[in-house]
Amino acid sequence: MNQPAIRVEHLSKHFRANEALKDVALSVPPGSIYGLLGPNGAGKTTLIKILMNLIDASGGRAEVLGTPSSKLNWKWFQKIGYVSENQKLPEDMSVAQLLAYLQPYYPSWDTKLCSELLQQLDLPVDRKLKNLSRGMKMKAALLSSLAFRPELLVLDEPFSGLDPVVREDFTKGLLGTVADSSGAVFMSSQDVEEVERMCDWVGIMKPGHLFISEPLDQLLRRFRRIEVTLASGDAPKIDWGADVLQAERSGATVNLVHQHFDGEATLTDLRQRSRDVTTTDDSPMTLREIYLAIARVRTT
Amino acid sequence: MLSFNVQIKPGSPAYEQVIYAVQKAFLTGKLKPGDRFPSVRQLSQELRINPNTAHKIVAHLTAEGLLQVEPGIGTVVQKIPSGSAQDKSVLLNKDLERLVVEAKRLSLGLSEVTRALEKHWEKIS
Repeated sequence: MNQPAIRVEHLSKHFRANEALKDVALSVPPGSIYGLLGPNGAGKTTLIKILMNLIDASGGRAEVLGTPSSKLNWKWFQKIGYVSENQKLPEDMSVAQLLAYLQPYYPSWDTKLCSELLQQLDLPVDRKLKNLSRGMKMKAALLSSLAFRPELLVLDEPFSGLDPVVREDFTKGLLGTVADSSGAVFMSSQDVEEVERMCDWVGIMKPGHLFISEPLDQLLRRFRRIEVTLASGDAPKIDWGADVLQAERSGATVNLVHQHFDGEATLTDLRQRSRDVTTTDDSPMTLREIYLAIARVRTT
Repeated sequence: MLSFNVQIKPGSPAYEQVIYAVQKAFLTGKLKPGDRFPSVRQLSQELRINPNTAHKIVAHLTAEGLLQVEPGIGTVVQKIPSGSAQDKSVLLNKDLERLVVEAKRLSLGLSEVTRALEKHWEKIS
């Protein structure tokens, strides 16, 4: 079980002339919760659809639980849970009927967990799915994907459009189940705060490219905001080097975003870049700030 | 419901924030020896944090001697030699650092800060 839950290398996908994915590489370690961030149209859903064998890649490799994603069939989906943003459900069934219908397909179905989740997610068992709100439907879809303790759970924008109460139920149900099993979670999201709390691995996409893919701790450690004070507002422009993603200057103050911060060594390097530098003051960045800084860098 | 208070803020590791909150709850008597400490699962759910992070928190506090896993019961808060004044003051380090940084930014002297501190102290005691 030490192989990555997902492994992607040099993955590309084009729709006619449009390159939706370019040379994407990532790895989701077993037992981790991987959060994939990026704007609409960045290619998150395309990537997930390739992983779930819903569309073919144009090139490269995508492996899920050690198997090429293009070979995934019903047998593999007994170990993989998948909930998409607009999850289709058999609308004429009640929640109880849906669960009774699904259970025989999954050898690992956990009846005890299923009833715990029903209670925790506060789902009405007898109401038909078509009469449920969108949030309730999402919770029903999550429940049916958690009840068999999947080795991998894939969620495409699980929180979008959910009210705060449903969102909290959803997150708690998810985390409680993950805490008790060794399964991995791969989810795309626009919700940076939720990802910062829940995930231990983060990927950040810009249209077509996966710009960042690494442990959250490491990302939060290496990005740093540094405020540099210059001797005077007239000091000439300074070259801060390739590790500085952003430099916003206002008079004698420059705000830098450094992407490989290494404590005193980095500050010394910055001070040595110009004799106009008088002081430096560094502070940590939230995932949201890092995301925004990356979004604003022009892709070369 | 957790027996200690923590509002996790983005920007610094949840791991550090929770450990700090637990140590504080312990030193101020909110967590007492013999109290049950939440499981990894409860911690993860209640705080909505990654289960691996919750696991790391429990492991850290166990290694520190604050918690002990008792088979069949769960994780229990331990009695450790009552925190010395020095142990307790460690909890203030971060706040003190912030205060000093702000004071220096405003180019206040140490004596001015001490005086302001005394005033606030008297207001409360």
